[in-house]
Amino acid sequence: MFKVVIGLEVHCELTTNTKNFSAAPNKFTDYPNEHVSTVDLGLPGILPVANKEAVRKALKTALALHCKTPDEVIFDRKNYFYPDLPKGYQITQNTKPMGINGYLDIMVDGKIKRVDIHDLHLEEDTASLEHFPKYSLIDYNRSGVPLIEIVTEPCLSSADEAVTFFEDLRDVFLFLGVSEAKSNFGQMRCDVNISLMREDSTELGTKVEMKNINATPSIRAAIEYEIKRQSDLLLKGEKVVQETRRIGEDGKTYSMREKVDALDYKYFIEPNIPSTPISDDLIYELKSKLPELKLERYIKYTEKYKLSDYDAKVLSKERTISDYFEEVLSFGSDIDLSVNFVTTTVLGTLNKLEISLEDFPITPKTLSGVIELVHNKKISLDHAKKIIYESIEKKENPLELIEKQNLHQIDDEDELLTLIEGLMEENKEIVRQYVEETNMGAINFFIGQTMKKTNRQANPNKSKDIIIKCLERRKENEQI
Amino acid sequence: MVNKMYRGKTILELRKELDEKIITKEELFSHANTLAHYFQEDYNSFVTIIDKPKYKERDSILSGIPYALKDNFSTSGILTTGSSNILKDYVPVFDSTVYKKLKNAGATLIGKTVLDELAMGGTGTTAHTGIVKNPWDKTRMIGGSSAGSASSVALGIVPFSIGSDTGDSVRKPAALGGVVGFKPTYGRISRYGMFAFASSLDHVAIFSRCVKDASIVTDVLKGYDRLDMVTIKDDNKKYTDTLENDIKGKRLFYIKEICDKELYKDCNDKVLEEVLDKFYELIEKCKNLGFEVEEVSIDKKLLEAIYPTYMCISCAEATSNNANLTGIQFGPRGEGTSVEEIMFDSRTKGFSELIKRRFILGSYILQKENQDKLFLNAGRVRRIIVDKITSLFKEYDGMILPASGGIAEKFDSSSEKLEKLSSRYLILENHLAIGNFGGFPSITIPYGFVEGMPIGVNITGRVKEDDLVLNIAHQIEKVTGCKNQYSKVGDIDV
Amino acid sequence: MIEKEKLKKYAHLLMFDMDEEEYTTLQEEFEVILKQMELIEKIEGIEKVEPMSFPFKNTDVTLREDEVGDYLTVGEVLENTKHQVSDQVKVPRVVESGE
Repeated sequence: MFKVVIGLEVHCELTTNTKNFSAAPNKFTDYPNEHVSTVDLGLPGILPVANKEAVRKALKTALALHCKTPDEVIFDRKNYFYPDLPKGYQITQNTKPMGINGYLDIMVDGKIKRVDIHDLHLEEDTASLEHFPKYSLIDYNRSGVPLIEIVTEPCLSSADEAVTFFEDLRDVFLFLGVSEAKSNFGQMRCDVNISLMREDSTELGTKVEMKNINATPSIRAAIEYEIKRQSDLLLKGEKVVQETRRIGEDGKTYSMREKVDALDYKYFIEPNIPSTPISDDLIYELKSKLPELKLERYIKYTEKYKLSDYDAKVLSKERTISDYFEEVLSFGSDIDLSVNFVTTTVLGTLNKLEISLEDFPITPKTLSGVIELVHNKKISLDHAKKIIYESIEKKENPLELIEKQNLHQIDDEDELLTLIEGLMEENKEIVRQYVEETNMGAINFFIGQTMKKTNRQANPNKSKDIIIKCLERRKENEQI
Repeated sequence: MVNKMYRGKTILELRKELDEKIITKEELFSHANTLAHYFQEDYNSFVTIIDKPKYKERDSILSGIPYALKDNFSTSGILTTGSSNILKDYVPVFDSTVYKKLKNAGATLIGKTVLDELAMGGTGTTAHTGIVKNPWDKTRMIGGSSAGSASSVALGIVPFSIGSDTGDSVRKPAALGGVVGFKPTYGRISRYGMFAFASSLDHVAIFSRCVKDASIVTDVLKGYDRLDMVTIKDDNKKYTDTLENDIKGKRLFYIKEICDKELYKDCNDKVLEEVLDKFYELIEKCKNLGFEVEEVSIDKKLLEAIYPTYMCISCAEATSNNANLTGIQFGPRGEGTSVEEIMFDSRTKGFSELIKRRFILGSYILQKENQDKLFLNAGRVRRIIVDKITSLFKEYDGMILPASGGIAEKFDSSSEKLEKLSSRYLILENHLAIGNFGGFPSITIPYGFVEGMPIGVNITGRVKEDDLVLNIAHQIEKVTGCKNQYSKVGDIDV
Repeated sequence: MIEKEKLKKYAHLLMFDMDEEEYTTLQEEFEVILKQMELIEKIEGIEKVEPMSFPFKNTDVTLREDEVGDYLTVGEVLENTKHQVSDQVKVPRVVESGE
């Protein structure tokens, strides 16, 4: 009926020590107006001084998003009056954004969708306003915090796509380490532009803009509500008004203001920040340090390592985990065992202890040592895992623990045979039940006894084979 | 008996007396303070006269030397108004780099001087505390915007003062006040803490009564500042060291389309004729000094575009630079029941008419539909002009021109106002902006009197060659007969 | 001649107003200035030139290292306003226009 056309403008605060244009700390604090410089307050006579790290992080993100980067750093002023904008203009980029014409591939319903990125620019955040019934309060802590804005082409066509893009973009920020991208701290927020057009039409519909949404469920709700609202209007033959709407707590959208005529921001080049060349060396350096992103890793895991969709997702979702997993593999560890250990033992422990991977005591190298033992059947999988849990608890190296407890598996068949024969001598009643009544429970009984006797070191498969052989021989010979 | 007189002395003279303990810094301050108060009613140089100074003893040539600072330089704890009602009660919490450097050099601030409101204007008549009068004739303006800084030096209250120069705001009033006005290369002195008018044209500049004093002050103020990205790396030169360099064979040019007498023969303007006569007399003297001076020709259309180009760029940048003045986080807050109403009321009451007109013009120039035609074209013309002058500087060491075609205007001379579309107005009265377009070092020095009023000549040189411009000016100063002059008005020599 | 209403709109967007007479003066001034501006367009070959934003190419610009430097105390931030509550600047309630 209608084609949905969505474009996103995603804002994300960068993690830096200082603000974008001043040396005041860029650090969260509960205390208002604590991290404010003359520049952030827009006092008369102040001058912006651009932050190298913010420029590097913005460029890094632009490169990760396959954008074309400019030959020089230039900022522009966007002029408008608002109480959260102390200078009366925002320093942003209009002439030469840090990146243009890029894309991010996302996966929706198992299919890859390329989201085209119009541009990525570096700018500064505004002060924050807190509203009370009779007044509002201005806190300038956030004023001047480096912010990147990523503007997509209007190429998303569903709430699913929009939400996936938003979440995947967050993962890009996290993989690159450019931002913590916490929505609940307002570090990542987005504006959604949405319009509907008839299936057979080539003409874009009237655009409605929804500002400052920071949680994924709200993005979904807002889009779904708007699709319904706009299609209802169009079906009734009514017109969609070009306007800005906000999302209410009920998930519905409400009109904020109609766009009478678009505000003219009177952009011009910021004269206080002389253009600074971006060298090929810098671009090369940043490019060479770019990590593989989530989707690339997912594809590698499923196609090269043949992992299941589920495992590949789990292992590519977070950079630290993915890096850990890949490091385990880098020691030549068996892929299946590595997946098994990382997804169960490692992630399980993180969950249980509520710690992050940085605090996880077992290094990929140690884990690969354990995996090696399992792979060579020196130790059972079951045991290895138990040992790992135990080593974390005792704060010991699992390999040393295995050594100490002499936990190497007893693989020697003669040794096992002697042991099992002995057990059968000691448990004649059980042997009789098998020989005379074919009680299969006897097998498990002897496995249990073998394990007990060997402190669980016996190779379970071999033990089982020998037990069955011994019992069968007795049955044939009617020997108890 | 030791001569303990203060008024009219140069920095070096005062330095010597301080060092020889003939006079103390307290006495110097007291003299300057007395003069400042004495002339305030008649000439209105100051927004704030400091009565309780803070002294700092420093091992610097400026230690103990009194000076005045334009009231658009941020001074922590001292009222800084920009001569505007919108900042009439603003006491900054931080120091401009210039003030900090002068403080660290031990110079004694004796007052904050009146300017055209927010440095926009060239008359010295638009400050919120009233008009500034010319020390050589009270019925005349001294020009602006650094009017009070110019008059405080021309009156002999201080040996030097600091101003800001966006189009000619130091070099023009210096000419009309008969003193030296030096604007170094763009970025030579940090602008941090100087209220922005048009950032790409704004310079810190210096008034003094001789070129040597201007060099001394520049030596103290110059240098890279991490708080101002446009500051250039220090050249590690002492400009005072090279003032006596031999200038034989140095090549100067003047522009025919600006100062050819033929251009103005129909004007029937005696003053202008005399100004130009004196200019050519000076050119002869320069040649006698050993300079080679030549006339060059530049497309008149290009020169006529200087003023509109300046207006476009400066008004556009100014409207943005002053958008922080809303009464919300500093300055007097207007009335209203919403933030918007408060901003509106603060700005309506806080700015005078002239400023508002410039803001509207600036915003018009930046509007989407006009931006390419006005703002960007102005930027294009700016480049053409700068490229032209820069190419001339490949052949010549400096450009020498009369700073103005006239003398200081009378306050009630509305009938004599120049036609705003005349070449004379557009070119002769506004060519100093070239120095701001290209950031060239540029100095005005007095070179005589016409009808009892001082006139000034301007020398502009290559970017970053401040030492050469000062060297040339210092040599020319020797033949002007105007070195160390000040208006001896008011029989009060302390 | 540029309409007065337009000039008023521009003024209001810049958050101030003027008297009627002042608008008349401005209207007249605009006439002159726009004529002066025409001089800019008369320059030959202008369209081929890159607009100049800085007086000259500064080749030793350095971006700031990301190290915390000077900043204000809370007291200094609030020094210049009487309107404060809980160490913040107080203004009438802002109705979000979502800028």
